[in-house]
Amino acid sequence: MGKGYMGKILTVDLDTATWTEERLGDEIYEQYLAGQGLGAYILYNRIPAGADPLGPDNLLGFMAGLLTGTGSLFSGRWTVVGKSPLTGGWGDANCGGQFAPAIKRCGYDGIFFRGVSAKPVYLLIDHDTIEIRDASRLWGKDAVETEEILMEEHGNDARVATIGLSGENLSLISGICNDRGRIAARSGLGAVMGSKKLKAVVLKGCRRIPTGNPLEIKGISQKCNRWVRFDPPKWPGFLNAYLGTVVGLLPTQMAIDGFLYKVLNRIWGTGSMNQMSVGMGDSPIKNWKGTNVDWPFSKSKSVNSDVFTKCEVVKYHCYSCPLGCGGVCSLTGKYSETHKPEYETVLALGGLLMNEDVDSIFYLNEVLNRAGMDTISAGGTVAYAIECYENGILTREDTDGLELTWGNTEAIVALIEKMVKREGIGDILADGSKAAAKKIGKGSMAYAIQAGGQEPAMHDGRGDPGFALHYSVEPTPGRHTIGSQLYYEMFQLWKVVKGLPKIKPLYHKNEKYVADEAKALQAAACSKFMNVVNACGLCLFGVFLGIKRIPVFDWINAATGWSLTPNDYMDIGERIQTIKQAFNVKHGIEPRDYKLSDRALGLPPLAEGANKGRTVPIDKLRRDYWQCFDWDQETGKPTATALKRLGIQL
Amino acid sequence: MSYTITEICTGCGACARICPAHAISGEKKKPHTINAELCIDCGACGRVCPKGGILNSIGNACKAVKRSEWPKPRIDNKTCMSCSICIDACPVGCLALSGASGKDPHGHPYLADEKRCIACGYCAVECPVAAIVMTDFQPEAAQASAPAAV
Repeated sequence: MGKGYMGKILTVDLDTATWTEERLGDEIYEQYLAGQGLGAYILYNRIPAGADPLGPDNLLGFMAGLLTGTGSLFSGRWTVVGKSPLTGGWGDANCGGQFAPAIKRCGYDGIFFRGVSAKPVYLLIDHDTIEIRDASRLWGKDAVETEEILMEEHGNDARVATIGLSGENLSLISGICNDRGRIAARSGLGAVMGSKKLKAVVLKGCRRIPTGNPLEIKGISQKCNRWVRFDPPKWPGFLNAYLGTVVGLLPTQMAIDGFLYKVLNRIWGTGSMNQMSVGMGDSPIKNWKGTNVDWPFSKSKSVNSDVFTKCEVVKYHCYSCPLGCGGVCSLTGKYSETHKPEYETVLALGGLLMNEDVDSIFYLNEVLNRAGMDTISAGGTVAYAIECYENGILTREDTDGLELTWGNTEAIVALIEKMVKREGIGDILADGSKAAAKKIGKGSMAYAIQAGGQEPAMHDGRGDPGFALHYSVEPTPGRHTIGSQLYYEMFQLWKVVKGLPKIKPLYHKNEKYVADEAKALQAAACSKFMNVVNACGLCLFGVFLGIKRIPVFDWINAATGWSLTPNDYMDIGERIQTIKQAFNVKHGIEPRDYKLSDRALGLPPLAEGANKGRTVPIDKLRRDYWQCFDWDQETGKPTATALKRLGIQL
Repeated sequence: MSYTITEICTGCGACARICPAHAISGEKKKPHTINAELCIDCGACGRVCPKGGILNSIGNACKAVKRSEWPKPRIDNKTCMSCSICIDACPVGCLALSGASGKDPHGHPYLADEKRCIACGYCAVECPVAAIVMTDFQPEAAQASAPAAV
């Protein structure tokens, strides 16, 4: 009987151009599942302490989720894992498209790379053959060009993950692309791939993926599909913007049901939130020092959700996704099409920089996707540079003549193009705002809004302190895809997991800022649950529908033949979280240092706007969160007791 | 489980040429073998073997069938949720995704390369919502389900 996983990993040594296959015992999957969890187990045990992230000892893993290819929905995300050159600690990023099942179709749960090749190469797995091929002719080409060339050579059923110029140039905010510009962007793992001179991974396989109970999996999938495809009539996008403004003004808040977000996502994609989030105070404006008053309705309408669906040619679905939040948009000018810009991209290149030119956002979306540079970090770093310019820390001479002012579209476009090519000031900025502030100095670190070296995403912790907490405590800091108070409401975990607090249907906004025991339990539950979700290769937008509608744990039991309870799975999530934190400690990271920049925590608080006067009680929240994991409350390091209980070796 | 080749194999190579998993090997005019670890039980070898020299995974002898009579996938776009599981499940890559059509902004899979289809039925097997059935191939049916724009 199959168990949903392939039971094998491949490790390629780029120093010697050799590879080894390794069978893993069931007990490893029972403790860590697959995907990110299995990656964490392998990397914790096999990367020597203090290894240079851009050196030969770092391992870069391409992981498929446990549920990927089993017939469960939303299971099309692959995860790249490695020691992050951006944060110096645990690094991971995940991405949709069609690449995830290809890893399992080739017979593996993960493909790892160690060593450094002497010349550019790519890995080709073509059913029964494995080859390391010369990629010199591909070096210097962007991600889309590379993918087109490799698919032309190896057939339209080949799946390609590749780096663009940013990864080649070892930019610490670069990611890995597949499916014409989708990108596993965070943690700077594109630079790790670039450091290994590994241009691409090309997979062609057709292995079957055996599961314990395929009919049960299908039955669950059919029920989920009914929730996803229940479509109410569409309404104009400007109503979303009004809704956001009203929510921002109200003193109370309703608990959000993820079904509402599903509806928005299916019509507009993540862009449904573009203008709405500005009014709600969810979107940081003007490098986190502005508010919705600085970027009012009249300005933010430039990025209304309808603007992006107007030029959408077709909806884009990742593998096994019935939702289709993505889209392919037609463009005029240098590029004829681009993936529909995500909310994060639009706000990082829009409101954060006070840029109202939506054409430039479309263009930069494609430029950054092709280069393989993280749009969140790119936007955050440009915002840092503009504030440096505003305060005289950077001059026109430093910026090669660019007038770096808020909303100056031409300068923003030119600066990002310089960052991709590492030209002039772009060379300093290509490693993110913290690294740039260290080089530029002059007190500019105050303008680098980051956590542990990574720019936080476009969700303001002063509006939802859960975001600020997760930005500050996760082994991968600055990440918005793990937890928040909003996510906890939408996951609805208390319906199946014993001991978790319920959410009131209506509450005063002030309650969000009270650092009580419930907040810590909620945040810890989000982290544990998302570790399971990521280990299964599932998409966040699926699980937003709630654990009853998207019964993740039932799917895993059906795929593996196990009969674990939801609390058992939450324990697995805790183990994965703890081994990632232990990875960081092993590599010399002080978890306390990952705290989000003061400004984004409301220190000092904003004087106006939807988040006026709000400060996140981060120290108390963080201590309580660490305590939930039995980690040291002062240092955030896993205790020996916790490690022993979870079976993690020191 | 895996398909196997019996001693009546003449080494014509038809099975090795059609096997999408690269699981069959052997010298020309000599008996071939199937690598059980690579075999995906698609049955294509059994359908092309002129000698009936291939046993399926439960040991029954396969019978050659004229390629024009092989069943083909037929996709119901109304039930289809555009998840592309079928496209990934296809071992020969003969399915592709259409563009948007009319008021439906979602693309749907269609049989883009009929000649490559090996009638394995994995697209239908893996579709979670039973939007695909394997039917005897009929040109008019294929036309009816062809995409409006690709």
